[in-house]
Amino acid sequence: MYAVETKNLTKRYGKIYALKNLDFTIDKNEIMVLLGPNGSGKTTLLLILATVLKSTSGHARVMDIDVNTQPTQVRQILGIAFQEARGFWRHKPADILRFHANVCGIPKTKRDTLIENILKDLELWNARNKLFMHLSGGQAKRLEVAKVFVQRPKFAILDEPTSQVDLRGKREIWAQILKLREEGSTILVATNEVREAEYLADRVTVLDEGKFVVCDTVRQLKDSITGGDIVELEIDTPDAQTLRQSLSQIEGTVKITNSGENRFKAYVSIAESWVPRMTDMCYRSKAHIRSIRVTEPSLDDVFLHFTGRVLREDNR
Amino acid sequence: MSNVIRLVWFDLKPELRPPIWIIMEWTVFLVQVSVYGAIISQLVTNPIIGDYSQFFAVGLVIMITFDMASHTGRHFVEHAHEGRLPYLLSLPISRSKLFLAIALQGGAELALMLAVPLTVTLVIIGNLSWVSVVACVLALFFLGFGVAGLMLGLSFIAFKSSDLYTAFVTGLSAVIIRFSTVLYPFIILPPQYASAAAFSPLTYGSDLVRFILGFDPSILLNPYFAAAILAALAASTLGLGLFLVQRLVEGVKSA
Repeated sequence: MYAVETKNLTKRYGKIYALKNLDFTIDKNEIMVLLGPNGSGKTTLLLILATVLKSTSGHARVMDIDVNTQPTQVRQILGIAFQEARGFWRHKPADILRFHANVCGIPKTKRDTLIENILKDLELWNARNKLFMHLSGGQAKRLEVAKVFVQRPKFAILDEPTSQVDLRGKREIWAQILKLREEGSTILVATNEVREAEYLADRVTVLDEGKFVVCDTVRQLKDSITGGDIVELEIDTPDAQTLRQSLSQIEGTVKITNSGENRFKAYVSIAESWVPRMTDMCYRSKAHIRSIRVTEPSLDDVFLHFTGRVLREDNR
Repeated sequence: MSNVIRLVWFDLKPELRPPIWIIMEWTVFLVQVSVYGAIISQLVTNPIIGDYSQFFAVGLVIMITFDMASHTGRHFVEHAHEGRLPYLLSLPISRSKLFLAIALQGGAELALMLAVPLTVTLVIIGNLSWVSVVACVLALFFLGFGVAGLMLGLSFIAFKSSDLYTAFVTGLSAVIIRFSTVLYPFIILPPQYASAAAFSPLTYGSDLVRFILGFDPSILLNPYFAAAILAALAASTLGLGLFLVQRLVEGVKSA
């Protein structure tokens, strides 16, 4: 039995498909990361699984409970941190967490200690009695994910859990997510930040325009790209177009992309044999190589490879 | 404590910390009755009405009820826009209990807002008894549910444009109050105004409350008819409003 399973899941707003015939599974006690650009259907999928939205057609089950026919039972085993923490303007963080814990049935004996620990871990302790409207964007986001960490549900959904959060806060949230998994929870994280996906994911599902693209471990996804190595080049040349054509004709080249003026990204089969050929070609054409960097593909490259589109500009 | 009560208290608590809005509402009411009511009652000397300040005080109570009920309906739509509603929808509470909690929270706010105005009105009229208090509160709650349901029913506009919704509801509120018996009895309304007032829920709320408080029945609509209209309005608009809102927020029907 899967922790989460969807079959032909479709969500339509008028004529626009937010999700189209999505088949998708998450194993128990797994961290699944949904990767996709804005508008790819990530949040829609999360909201359907959280029973906030209803699907147009298809089925979805969480821990073998149907989200359409038994939504209240599904809500009893899941916790969700929304993309944007809003709507509690006149409440205080400590009160919000206490209310959430009470509604989710956290025993009173554990509740206050749990809330105190989470507030301290997420560096919200000093802000616990501030009004929500006075919190910074990062603090509000940390409070949003804190609800899930206080609840400790069987199935946790986190929508872009570290957006607006500083690096230290990100690391703490990631550590809490991993701890939650260690305790037996199944976790679904939606993000468009590749570092987050690479750090957390047992498996990554790529969504694009509401459709399933690919699902696998980060390693397998990277290895599945034809041309396993990436060579980043900066070359002084008066004719970048001609140089790009010449580079693409070198044996072992899979694809050449421009990543800036006189900057190229070459997807190649084996960098060790490709680089000498490239330097030789540059020498003969009198192009001056300013820098060479050999890297392995990132999830951005995986996304680009499978969809032909860039995941997010600031990931580059 | 059940989750319904938790939800009601969670929403109500910030309103009481400190209860500025409630005290403001009470103050405005007291000023209206003691200054405007006293002066206008000197000008309105129609023997059909009797002491106009009493008639006016009931009208103010009805207007507070209308304001609070329409605020509850609007509040719900704002929750949807602000992102709070998805959070509430994700809690382990059934939809019926969630909507019950929202309705009870609106009712509790209404009760707090009306506590002083209704008591003062009953004192002015000289009818401060448990029977009249309970009967008035019931009539006002029916009116409140009807108006809140009406606002929820109109919320489909807000899902298109919140500005359009605000403009529409403000205009509608002005019409519903003016073309009603809130401030003047039905029998003195010119025919064209009277036919418009027959469509305002406030007409039935005002006349029913005035009947309960012992106003001359000859200047009021039939109380049984008024009670039936209010009950039907509350049931139909609240039911329809919740049905529409649930479909809109859960995305069953695209907005």
